[in-house]
Amino acid sequence: MSLFYVVAFLSIIFALLVIFTKNPVHSVLYLIATFFTFTIHYIILNAQFLAVVNFIVYMGAIMVLFLFVLMLMNLNTDTEPMKSTLLKVVGAIAGGCLLVTLVGSMKTLSSASTTAMDNTGIGLVENLGKVLFSDFLLPFELSSILLLAAMVGAVLLAKKDNKTA
Amino acid sequence: MSTLIVISILAIVVLYLGLFKAKQALLPISVLGLVAALALAIMEWNSNAAPIFSGMMHFDNFAVAFSSICIITTILVFLLSKNYFEKISDNVAEYYTLILFALSGIIVMVSYHNLSMLFVGLEIMSVSLYILAGIKRKDFASNEAALKYFLMGAFSTGFLLFGIALIYGASKSFDLAVIAQYVIDRPTGIDPIFYVGLVLMIVGLCFKVGAAPFHFWTPDVYEGAPTLITAFMSTVVKIAGFAAFLRLFSICFAPLQDFWMPTLLVITILTLFVGNITALYQTNFKRMLAFSSISHAGYMLFAIVALGAASTNAIFIYAAAYAVSSITAFAVLMLVKAKTGSENFEDFNGLAKSNPFLAFALTVAMLSFAGIPLTAGFIGKFFVFNAALAQYHTWLVAIAVVNAIIGVFYYFKVIVAMYFKDNQTKQIATPAYFNFVLGVSLIITLVLGIYPSFITNLF
Amino acid sequence: MELEFLIEKTALVLVLFVLTLTIAAYSTWAERKVAAWLQDRVGPNRAGPFGLLQPLADGGKMFFKEEIIPSGANKYLFIAGPSLALLVSFLGTAVIPFGQNIEIFGRVVPLQVTDINVGILYIFGVVSLGVYGIMIGGWASNNKYSLMGAIRGASQNISYEIAMGLSIIALLMVTNTLSFKEIAAQQHGWHWNVLYQPLGFLIFLICAFAETNRVPFDLPECETELIGGYQTEYSAFKMGAYMFAEYINMFVSSVVMAVLYFGGYNYPGMDAVNQALGPTWSPLIGVGVMFFKIIAFIFFFMWVRWTVPRFRYDQLMDLGWKVLIPLAIANIVITAIVIVGFDLFNKL
Repeated sequence: MSLFYVVAFLSIIFALLVIFTKNPVHSVLYLIATFFTFTIHYIILNAQFLAVVNFIVYMGAIMVLFLFVLMLMNLNTDTEPMKSTLLKVVGAIAGGCLLVTLVGSMKTLSSASTTAMDNTGIGLVENLGKVLFSDFLLPFELSSILLLAAMVGAVLLAKKDNKTA
Repeated sequence: MSTLIVISILAIVVLYLGLFKAKQALLPISVLGLVAALALAIMEWNSNAAPIFSGMMHFDNFAVAFSSICIITTILVFLLSKNYFEKISDNVAEYYTLILFALSGIIVMVSYHNLSMLFVGLEIMSVSLYILAGIKRKDFASNEAALKYFLMGAFSTGFLLFGIALIYGASKSFDLAVIAQYVIDRPTGIDPIFYVGLVLMIVGLCFKVGAAPFHFWTPDVYEGAPTLITAFMSTVVKIAGFAAFLRLFSICFAPLQDFWMPTLLVITILTLFVGNITALYQTNFKRMLAFSSISHAGYMLFAIVALGAASTNAIFIYAAAYAVSSITAFAVLMLVKAKTGSENFEDFNGLAKSNPFLAFALTVAMLSFAGIPLTAGFIGKFFVFNAALAQYHTWLVAIAVVNAIIGVFYYFKVIVAMYFKDNQTKQIATPAYFNFVLGVSLIITLVLGIYPSFITNLF
Repeated sequence: MELEFLIEKTALVLVLFVLTLTIAAYSTWAERKVAAWLQDRVGPNRAGPFGLLQPLADGGKMFFKEEIIPSGANKYLFIAGPSLALLVSFLGTAVIPFGQNIEIFGRVVPLQVTDINVGILYIFGVVSLGVYGIMIGGWASNNKYSLMGAIRGASQNISYEIAMGLSIIALLMVTNTLSFKEIAAQQHGWHWNVLYQPLGFLIFLICAFAETNRVPFDLPECETELIGGYQTEYSAFKMGAYMFAEYINMFVSSVVMAVLYFGGYNYPGMDAVNQALGPTWSPLIGVGVMFFKIIAFIFFFMWVRWTVPRFRYDQLMDLGWKVLIPLAIANIVITAIVIVGFDLFNKL
């Protein structure tokens, strides 16, 4: 349990750093660190497959592309645009409202009952595969439509077109 | 299920037709395929279907009704697309494919019986639309629309997904029946995270249907996207959003009405006022339609606030009336824009003299939007208000009526422009496809307005 | 956790660490010797017999050279780049079984640091992290050549990872497991996976060249176009770290190929040897066989380097996306058909 708190603390710190860093490349690097802590969370939950996939897909592919684009745009300098005073005031008021709401809801807080997992081995590759290809077969197959639509769209938007309006 | 399969395969067939340069065959085959899908959907009416694929999908009468209306509206949109995409780009087949993919996502959204299906369906629809909104690649407004829609959509999906996760955490299931049983089994002592999940799902779904205060993306996206895509978004997509909303709440969360009703009530009232009052100040017809679609979302939310036996029927009728009127309005707008090049109210000046049929069709559509008797819009509003009155929300109905009166002002603006302002313009040539669509919409609007019993007793 | 367990694992980790470093160091020597041999030269021959002390001399030189950090560079990331590259390259060997269980003083010791049941995916994840070292270092140098090299490295790695993953999927359909230990055990005797997955192995091999940035895919550091690519601005040991990382990566991919496709520690006739030598000495022969295979692969890497010219960048991308990925998908389909066909045949 204490390991959980350490990792959760790190997650939050890194997530905050993502927002507060001014250099976009540093932001992305902190985001990668945040994803790494998520991987540890998944391992703590015995969800090995999810952990490794999070590792490969998010850290290994998606964030590389993020970094790639940022580097190509050459945002070396701290390009945080100046915000107007009005925006700052509005932001402060909105944030204050959120704070009041949070404090109010904290006062009536009741803790959720912890439900134990029925099957702690569900995160293992074998069990996950069985669930995915039996109970969740239809959403799994439908995801292929989602991916195909995204792929068609990506090609459509990126391809050279002689007759663009 | 067979409807979903037909539409998915149709999309891929159309993609291949584009590969083999069979441009002339695109439209006929798409429409024929959709008609087949429609027939398959209607054949499942009253078949007492049970949830299939281990409770993933339930093609009940609700699903049949809403998928039919979505397919019909898509067919009308397709008929308007003759020669429309060709002007934008060479890759016409891909646009049809993306619309069909979006439609297959919509079929999933109206027939889901498991929250994972809701999510997948919603994503299929949204991803296709993000792309469709940005197909005018050199057009700044279109790019802005696509990017805004994408960012807002991704953000709202995050809310929805978090809500689903929390509800799963409390009820240990994605299955609607199990979640409903969880709620029924616990008159008191529902886990607090279930409530949090519920609120987050409301936020996510309100984003998708464009209800205030989550409506900020709507006007810019509707205005920036190509008009035909806007027509698709403001009709089919909106109806699908409401169908998903209603399905979730009527199956799962009905017993918790005391909890979520106040939240949704505030959203509804805000949506009505924001939509209507902002629409009053618009000079751009397309933007006005965007705000009016926000206000119509407010009316449809009414039926969910007053969730009861009549809600499904009320939303169905309202959605049908709203869809045909919107199609008419967008069809006329496309013709006018093709001629004058802009979308402002002045462009409609003198339309009654040059094109009496167009003017008449648009007038009927506007009257239907405003809820004037003898049009379908009136019947829709009547049923929605009736559902609210049945639950003694009298003052809510009073607010809605005030809004309906505000609505009359801006809907009449365009009628006034067409009939009472003069402008020496030549006649707009209307293609036969447009005349057909306008005629069908006109007939549906009037027939539903005069003989509403066609569809009022479906449920 | 017992004390013996800790000692055993620590020893194994230390041995592996030292071994990896040694092999990486002597790869630099071997590379020059192989190059010399192929080009009919002598190669390094001054430091020690046959130039065997050359790697030590090189290492010493790198330690004592002046460190230069360019003034426009981002200092922390500039240091983090090579460190990350070196760190990540070491991670791979943790899940590799180097031999059968060995019996020492009556205690059965597995020659593998840890057997996780998603071993292949773990390797895959580690490989995909390798690109960060290059990207961070290349960007932090604040040099256009470095940045170009970093970007080339990233896009190349991502493109070839897909084909690599797809070729592994076909392999998994044959093995039915993701654990290296079980995959190695399945290839007992001569049942090596390369006999069942020849096309898959070929794709994997090509992708391994691309993932390790070796010739003919060494575009990230291609000196004729980019000076030194992502390592242009690096000097002294930071440059050495990049070089070491590259050779360690080569070692790790040779290990992975040996285990996945060439039977790891298995060799024909191993049963007879097992019986003759007993559980203490026979696994060592297996380890020897394994290292023979690894060294053969490393030699192959070098042989290719001095034989095949470099690809052009568009050729590289075409090969990855238009040839290897379709081939890998076809391989999956063929494998599936064959497996199902055999099942049906057996039922008849």
